[in-house]
Amino acid sequence: MNELLQGYLATGPSDDEMFDDAGALRHDYRELGNILQKWSLDEHLQREERADLALLSAGITFNVYSEEEGTERIFPFSLIPRVIGAREWARVEAGLKQRLRALNLFLLDIYGAQQIIKEGIIPEEIVLGAPGYRPEMAGFRPPLDVYAHVAGCDLVRDSKQGLVVLEDNLRTPSGVSYVLENRTIMLRVVPDLFPRGGVRAVADYPNQLMAMLLSVRPADSGDPPRAVLLTPGVYNSAYFEHSFLSNQMGIPLVEGSDLTVGDDDFVYLRSTTGLERIDVIYRRIDDDFLDPTVYRADSLLGVPGLMRSYLKGHVTLVNAPGAGVADDKVVYRWVPDIIRFYLDEDPMLPNVETYSPLVPSELDHIRANARDLVIKPANASGGYGVLIGEQASSAELEETLAQVEAEPRNWIAQPLLHFTSIPTFDDDRLKPRRADLRPFILSGRDVWVIPGGLTRVALREGSYIVNSSQGGGSKDTWVLNEEPD
Amino acid sequence: MLSRVAENLFWLGRYLERAENIARMARVEHEVSLESGQEIWHSLVSTTASNQLFWDTLLEEPELTHSEFLIYSMQNSASLRSTLVRARELARGLREHISREVWEEINALYLYLALRKEYIANDIHEFCSETQRRTQTILGLYDNTVLRDEGREWFRCGMYLERADMTSRIVDAKYHILLPSGDSVGGAFDRFQWMAVLRSASAREAYRRMGNNEVDGIQVAQLLIFSQVFPRSLAFCVQALQRHFQQATGETPKRRRAAAERGIALLHLDIGARDMDQLIDEGLHGFLDTFQQRLIEIDRAITGDIFRAEPNAASLQSQTSIGQA
Repeated sequence: MNELLQGYLATGPSDDEMFDDAGALRHDYRELGNILQKWSLDEHLQREERADLALLSAGITFNVYSEEEGTERIFPFSLIPRVIGAREWARVEAGLKQRLRALNLFLLDIYGAQQIIKEGIIPEEIVLGAPGYRPEMAGFRPPLDVYAHVAGCDLVRDSKQGLVVLEDNLRTPSGVSYVLENRTIMLRVVPDLFPRGGVRAVADYPNQLMAMLLSVRPADSGDPPRAVLLTPGVYNSAYFEHSFLSNQMGIPLVEGSDLTVGDDDFVYLRSTTGLERIDVIYRRIDDDFLDPTVYRADSLLGVPGLMRSYLKGHVTLVNAPGAGVADDKVVYRWVPDIIRFYLDEDPMLPNVETYSPLVPSELDHIRANARDLVIKPANASGGYGVLIGEQASSAELEETLAQVEAEPRNWIAQPLLHFTSIPTFDDDRLKPRRADLRPFILSGRDVWVIPGGLTRVALREGSYIVNSSQGGGSKDTWVLNEEPD
Repeated sequence: MLSRVAENLFWLGRYLERAENIARMARVEHEVSLESGQEIWHSLVSTTASNQLFWDTLLEEPELTHSEFLIYSMQNSASLRSTLVRARELARGLREHISREVWEEINALYLYLALRKEYIANDIHEFCSETQRRTQTILGLYDNTVLRDEGREWFRCGMYLERADMTSRIVDAKYHILLPSGDSVGGAFDRFQWMAVLRSASAREAYRRMGNNEVDGIQVAQLLIFSQVFPRSLAFCVQALQRHFQQATGETPKRRRAAAERGIALLHLDIGARDMDQLIDEGLHGFLDTFQQRLIEIDRAITGDIFRAEPNAASLQSQTSIGQA
């Protein structure tokens, strides 16, 4: 072992993806580790700097809401990739496809016959009480019966169960542009790290996305059909991604004010020569802001009349309004049951054990074991408001438990997962950092999964929070083409 | 093309051109004021922004100098820095319409600016030359890497409209020395001033190459206003503006482009129907004033009738029937 890896082992990583507890390279990381053996600390440092510079000069940045408007940061990037073997990936891919098929069937049912509620599989109040539930969608069937066209499932590797699903994101999941950009930078900065057998390419994502968008166009769409990407604008934290994807697909990037709904209830784009009909809108704004005549009246981001046009079938919204009911953190507790109900199959990818205070026996369990649990608000994202039992003060714990009892629909609890860490560059050396994985799944006629996905790492020692808004970073994710010998 | 995108590309062209001009003028002004020992920055402030704003800002920041106000102050929306920050904001929202090369160069210029935490008075030359070099690089990259579509035509419209405006301001700032007002006319001081005008308009070499042996105010104004071959002259800019506007609006309905078209045609007439002698007789300042006024009207017509036109029911109807056919 050289200084670089020796120094890493000296930090005493546990549950590490690269090294086993005896300090030997794990199977999938062997080839990578053997190359890193030859790197000096200096060489590594220089390459990390080159990668950061490349990101900054390319303007691959995100905005941080808690800071002054327009403040940009690069998404911290670390060169040591996360490696996933071909066989393991095949299992994950199949599990994600299964999950998305079931979740889309669940949405079709919820806005249709509600069979799953009638058969008592999931309590009605949990579904209809979910903030993502949109009553105006009842009885409406979107093209191909797909609601969650673009999904991002957050997986973590538990040292006992392997990769498990931590949560689903079925509304406007972001991060895929970093997957593509990270790979581009890796190919430039560390070409010598790539394994002989190669890794699965990710660059096909925009093509797959475009094909999916056109596949769900309305039956009476224009010829040729036209798609746009709807962004909240340049100050949105994911603006870079909106711009990147529209550019890659060659479709207009529009803001709400660029669109108008005509007297005929079709959607038009305002152009220098007049109005142009639009068939598919890949919208990256939340349901609440889509149409001020239906949802938040104060929204300047949306398009008045858009929902009317949508419900008449004149335009397709991707993802469908109301898809959020299926990624609700409380509904999540029932996803394994949802998979069994609609597909009559056992889930291939396990959920994290989850307790809902709405179920009396589970509330008792939360009270009795609060120190060993992570208690999460069901309606927040970005890692805000999460209470980690073993780290909280007694007062914090009491306060949260009181809230849990007062509003049981708004909370869930899970055991603290000791999910795995990966060597990550920080402060001039490699340190163990916890990581999750967000693969992106596209559902149209078929279900397609990007090979790998976005690996996000916590950038503070021991932290389990990997969200970019809270200082997380990212890595390239390599799905190996073949199993190493 | 999306109206908002067209408008933003038009302004990106304006801001980049403006930045290049301010950087160039400030560099020349800096050298001239050093050499002559005279503080002449105030005339440049009145060329690009308002003197009133300068004095107002001075009340809040007593240390403020003319050069800092012009180059670095964010209080001055026409300062070099403000202009570049806005150009970069626009570019950030236009990334799918400009090439990666252009974006990265604009972003690099912004980072260069952002890294300078404070204004450094004795670094004006370095800062302005670097900014000028980089904006020129961006304009060159734009021409060689961006698709020649409608958006590029709007970018060029903005660029030439701004350039026409800037050149007219440069000439206007020194028009008074063309007036027969005493001893200084034709003297060394006068020559010195006209040299500065030529350099401010990046025209010194062009002036010499066109066979002018003497530095003479009339000849300088002739070049900057009437030359068909000097790419910063008013005549050249108006011609280019007309060409790019025609190309940008090839498919735009007549009623949306009519007012701007008329304004550009009037500019053409103003210049085409006159020569230098007439201008001296009529008064150069009055001519330049009208010229600038017309540019403002053209900008208004493009913005109001093309970029921000609300579609009326009739146009919606006709578009719909096409869509359903």
